[in-house]
Amino acid sequence: MPLPQLTALLSKYETGGCRQGTSRPPYAQRPYPAVHGGHISVPQCSAIALDRAKAQGLSRDSPDEVATPVIQMRNVGLKYDRGPEVLRDLNIDIPPGSFHFLTGPSGAGKTSILRLMLLALKPTRGNIHLFNQDVTRLGTGRRAELRRRIGIVFQDFRLLDHMSTWENVALPLRVLGKDVEDYREDVTDLLQWVGLGDRMHAAPSVLSGGEKQRAAIARAVIGKPELLLADEPTGNVDPHMARRLLRLFVELNRLGTSVIIATHDHQLMRHHRAARIELFDGHVRIV
Amino acid sequence: MSGSYDNPGAPRRPPGQQPVYAPQPRPGQGPGQAQPIHDPYAYQQQYRDPPPQDPYYAPDYAEFYADEPGTGPPSVRVPAPSTAAQEAEQRELVAHSRNETALELRQTPIVPAGSVTGKSLTLVVSIMCFLACLTAGAVYMINQSAAAWLRDIASEVTVQIEPRDRVDMEKTIRDVSAYLTRQPGIVAAKPLSLNDSAELLEPWLGSADALKTLPMPRLIAVEVDRDTPPDFATLRGQLTKQFPAATLDDHRQWQQQIRAVTRSFALGGIAILLLVAAATTAIIVSATRSSMASNREIVEVLHYVGATDRLIAREFERHFLRLGIKAGMVGAICAIAVFLAMPLVMQTLGGGSVTQAEMSRLVGTGSLDLKGYLLLVGLVIVIAALCMLTSRFGVKRILHQQG
Repeated sequence: MPLPQLTALLSKYETGGCRQGTSRPPYAQRPYPAVHGGHISVPQCSAIALDRAKAQGLSRDSPDEVATPVIQMRNVGLKYDRGPEVLRDLNIDIPPGSFHFLTGPSGAGKTSILRLMLLALKPTRGNIHLFNQDVTRLGTGRRAELRRRIGIVFQDFRLLDHMSTWENVALPLRVLGKDVEDYREDVTDLLQWVGLGDRMHAAPSVLSGGEKQRAAIARAVIGKPELLLADEPTGNVDPHMARRLLRLFVELNRLGTSVIIATHDHQLMRHHRAARIELFDGHVRIV
Repeated sequence: MSGSYDNPGAPRRPPGQQPVYAPQPRPGQGPGQAQPIHDPYAYQQQYRDPPPQDPYYAPDYAEFYADEPGTGPPSVRVPAPSTAAQEAEQRELVAHSRNETALELRQTPIVPAGSVTGKSLTLVVSIMCFLACLTAGAVYMINQSAAAWLRDIASEVTVQIEPRDRVDMEKTIRDVSAYLTRQPGIVAAKPLSLNDSAELLEPWLGSADALKTLPMPRLIAVEVDRDTPPDFATLRGQLTKQFPAATLDDHRQWQQQIRAVTRSFALGGIAILLLVAAATTAIIVSATRSSMASNREIVEVLHYVGATDRLIAREFERHFLRLGIKAGMVGAICAIAVFLAMPLVMQTLGGGSVTQAEMSRLVGTGSLDLKGYLLLVGLVIVIAALCMLTSRFGVKRILHQQG
């Protein structure tokens, strides 16, 4: 069923979708350094970007032309209470429109990294820039604004049991203060697409694990986030549905969303070629 | 298969012809090895966006979507085997779900009401409101009767004429009455007869007949024009000069005493109201804290989907406002019922020895007037606002603490 319908739905809001014949989102038009693998520093990144900009005849005086990373972590460390550091010296750049898998053994800190990115945790040390803003200096209002640009799929779904599945999926839009009439069809279409068309009025407590997961994913993507964080999004579904959900993420990515999927499902990673952020012993390696 | 999602009309690429933009394999990144694509720009260049001069661009999505017939971009979609009946069923399902969504206009509150305001909390706030209304009503009633007393007292002064030797009492009374009537600001001067005076003294001195033979001070009740009262100091001076036996009493001492009593009642009432308000605030603060704790998960999810503290506080305060209005109205209605039943109760308890008229003269009618009822309505509004604001500040404070 209707992937084009989904893409139409998703691109409806996007002023520049990536389909041919339409204009591209601004960040996708900007030059970005082509470096395969490994970590590059910001100065390097800027230098390469400026070289490319020069080659394209762009002025050096327009720094806006250089795409800034969606997430930039510098020497980030995290420890819980007085325990040892679970994450050490993280240096991660997530460029706009990129697709990353976040892998590592259980307990390596995948969820912690996602929580850092979601501003649900404060790093013990180091700097995190989210959408080019230093998150340590944000007030609660600005933090909420940034979170609206992020979609999150939790490992434990976190659906609200007193609301129907439909309302759960519509929650991010409702929180934005939008009128129900404006998003009713979109929510219904998305639920149809993730295969919950006949379950949309059921309470989440009566959904199966896989259905809950799909509802959680639908909730994360309904707001067309600029950054999608997913924690084991395919942990509870059969391989078939896993691929289908991956496709949803890929489609979103094609529309310009940066996607980070924490998973140790190698099957899934084989299905889509993308950069891997590997976590081991509190450190990170980008493959 | 020719064409692609991005370029549906592309003809099939002739065998052996490589696209001009194909990336050159790097060492260690040959075919069959994972090729990390770290850069979206390169990614787009490599996999998605054909240069317009390449007419054969057709990335192979078919494999990607092949496992599930009926999905994927139209150019690669494998049509799902479906019968007309299945299609009709699917259409019906979609229509049905749309209708159901259309019907579901009522939105569930984000924070469930039951988890915030329970029955016991409603009961406690109702009782608080009842006590507040009772106190406010009683203070208002006492103030009203005191004002009536003061008005009555202020509109009447008394002139007392002492009995003196060799003075014709009756003549003096007549002269004084005539003199007083001529003064500006005095409506009438009515001398009390000997019998009236004796009756006034009867409770203290016994039989009236015997009293009449004694030299008794006599009284003249003087009715004062309320709008333009005379200057009592001048009047008293002139009266004493002309009639040495006459003294004027303007009941000032009485007025002061009544005022003192009513003021102390009002102060007591305000103190009780403040205590009730403090208790209600404390209850709401604790209820807010517990409801925040029990809805912690909801608050967290709301935060993660981008809700501001203000929106979350609004969700909670809405319930508390509703609680305040509901409990306030219950309390106020109970208080109003008490005030309506009060005259009846007083009559019953008086056992007939105290008449209705005497009682109402003493403590007022026992029921409230329109202004009194409006006061109670105002009190309900104040309690509802108190509940709402307390919960708002409580929630914001807790959210601030949680960071």
